Amino acid sequence: MATIELQELTRRFGDVVALDSLELEVASGEFVSLLGPSGCGKTTALRIVAGFEWPDSGRVLVAGRDVLDLPANRRNMGMVFQAYSLFPNMTAQQNVEFGLRVRRRPKHDRSKRAAELLDLVGLAAQKDRYPRQLSGGQQQRVALARCLAIEPSVLLLDEPLSALDAKVRVQLREEVRRIQLELGITTLYVTHDQEEALSVSDRVAVMSSGRIEQIGSPAEIYGHPRTPFVASFVGTMNHLEATVVSSAAGKVRCGPAVLDVGLSAASHSDGDVVTMYVRPEHVHVVALAPGQDMPPELFEGKVTSLTFLGPVTRVGIASALGGLLADVSSSMALSLAIDSTVGVSIEAGSLRSLALT
Amino acid sequence: MTTPAVLADGLPGDVGRKRAAISRRGQARRGGRTRFPLWSWFWIGFAALYFLVPVFSLVQFSFGGTLANGRSAGFHWFLAVFDDPAFRSSFWLSAQIAFETVALSLLLMVPTVFWVHLRLPRLKPVMDFVSVLPFVVPPIVLVVGLEPFLQNFTWLYSRPEVLPFIYVVFALPFLYRSIDAGLRAIDLRTLSEAASNLGASTFGALARVVLPNLRSAVIGGSLLTFAIAMGEYTIASLLLFNTFPVYIFYIGQGPAAHEATALSVISLLLTWIAMAALFVIGRGGRETAQLGVTK
Repeated sequence: MATIELQELTRRFGDVVALDSLELEVASGEFVSLLGPSGCGKTTALRIVAGFEWPDSGRVLVAGRDVLDLPANRRNMGMVFQAYSLFPNMTAQQNVEFGLRVRRRPKHDRSKRAAELLDLVGLAAQKDRYPRQLSGGQQQRVALARCLAIEPSVLLLDEPLSALDAKVRVQLREEVRRIQLELGITTLYVTHDQEEALSVSDRVAVMSSGRIEQIGSPAEIYGHPRTPFVASFVGTMNHLEATVVSSAAGKVRCGPAVLDVGLSAASHSDGDVVTMYVRPEHVHVVALAPGQDMPPELFEGKVTSLTFLGPVTRVGIASALGGLLADVSSSMALSLAIDSTVGVSIEAGSLRSLALT
Repeated sequence: MTTPAVLADGLPGDVGRKRAAISRRGQARRGGRTRFPLWSWFWIGFAALYFLVPVFSLVQFSFGGTLANGRSAGFHWFLAVFDDPAFRSSFWLSAQIAFETVALSLLLMVPTVFWVHLRLPRLKPVMDFVSVLPFVVPPIVLVVGLEPFLQNFTWLYSRPEVLPFIYVVFALPFLYRSIDAGLRAIDLRTLSEAASNLGASTFGALARVVLPNLRSAVIGGSLLTFAIAMGEYTIASLLLFNTFPVYIFYIGQGPAAHEATALSVISLLLTWIAMAALFVIGRGGRETAQLGVTK
């Protein structure tokens, strides 16, 4: 399978810089997601790779060969689009066979390959149905089978699940990943859905303003965001303003409290104002019995909101450290009430800092 | 002392009566039986008479009159018209011109509108403007302007093959609107890109993917173009070509009034067949759209 390299890719639309010297390398057989908000340039990058857009400068190498001089129909890439793209005048089977018919493959080969691929996406029984007779999820599966039929060098997926309902989306993303692993095909996946990107990718590239802010494994992106944008875009994050008390000892002052943040403050000088980040699941809440004194290792907080999210409940807390969000198990949240006083602690080593000034 | 009548909803007196009346009105509306007031029927009847009486008179006259042997004419005038070699040659000429006009219009318009939609969407307002020009410029103005130009091409000017090149302009609004509407109904960009991604050239995408999905729009536009070319009189007459409409006019000017009405009936029938075909194709297109072809 082929590698993909984007080198210094720049694309402007008038005054808007859609891609700003974008650099990306995707290894053979790897599944990389481009994750970012609308307008960050992720779809533009994918469309340039596919041959539907052209960069102002830069290179796109597939298997080491610059493909920018090739038209889209000669790049041999499979692409699944965000909008349903099955040809309405053809059945599922005819759609899958289309690319092979263009390549003038014998009818027997085409039928055999289409049957294999429809079986792979679990739609062998629906081969004679027209797109209008298929659900959205089934249409996207046929679209996936259709682009795999031509044995593409790389697979490009442009938010293929965004038009589907939540349950189908989860099923289909797992299926896409299963098929990708089974075929070992190099895949570039564009999405604005962080859960989708984190759950299926080998690596995630978080994009903002035409650049990659951070690229890494889903665990790295989620657990160790390197920029404020990544920290705020991926997952939910508490932001606490603090002043470095001792960079050598790794201590910061946040409100009245001095917090031990370990090595994270070492890159700052004493007196620096920093923003500390902590995930809600690393903020622990203890319900206090009426009249119970606050244990010394806990900060006092007042519950300001309770949002039920299924297995966990997100608790909004006003504390001396500032406003905090904490995820607690929904069974534990039953003992909490709005305006009740709670004890709050932050898991050791989970506070991270990024310089503000 | 009297007890108030208990009406709808168990409410006494006026309140109950009012609610019952409102409820009855609601049921009448919901019941599926739409009531037309008398005036509606009057206007429908008036409009029907306005249109149908002339047609009925025309048909009646085309079958009317008596022959020299004293028998009623029946289909005689129609048979007489069909027997006339001038009818056959003019009808055949018009049909030939109409087919050529359709072919030329499709060849010109389908790729153009496709390309404008796909690659030059900024030109759409220009296309919209140009497409309505034939409505604004009267045929007589067009032919007066065209005549000196066409005289430069004597080999073409003297032949009826020149007419399709002129009729294409008249058919432009109908064919353009039809194809435009058809292209708006499909996700052209995604379908073309999907075809291209699978290896099809731009022409391949147009021929294999876009055109089959524009079937009703293309057939509808073609039928309208055909009807326009079959019925055009002004230009054919001014350029001295003996087409079907010119022949009808010529017969109508002579003493053979029955033959002329028979010709008009034939012409009307052709138009109605075209309209019926349009209706059937249009219904097919709507059903496809309702089933959600692309989204």
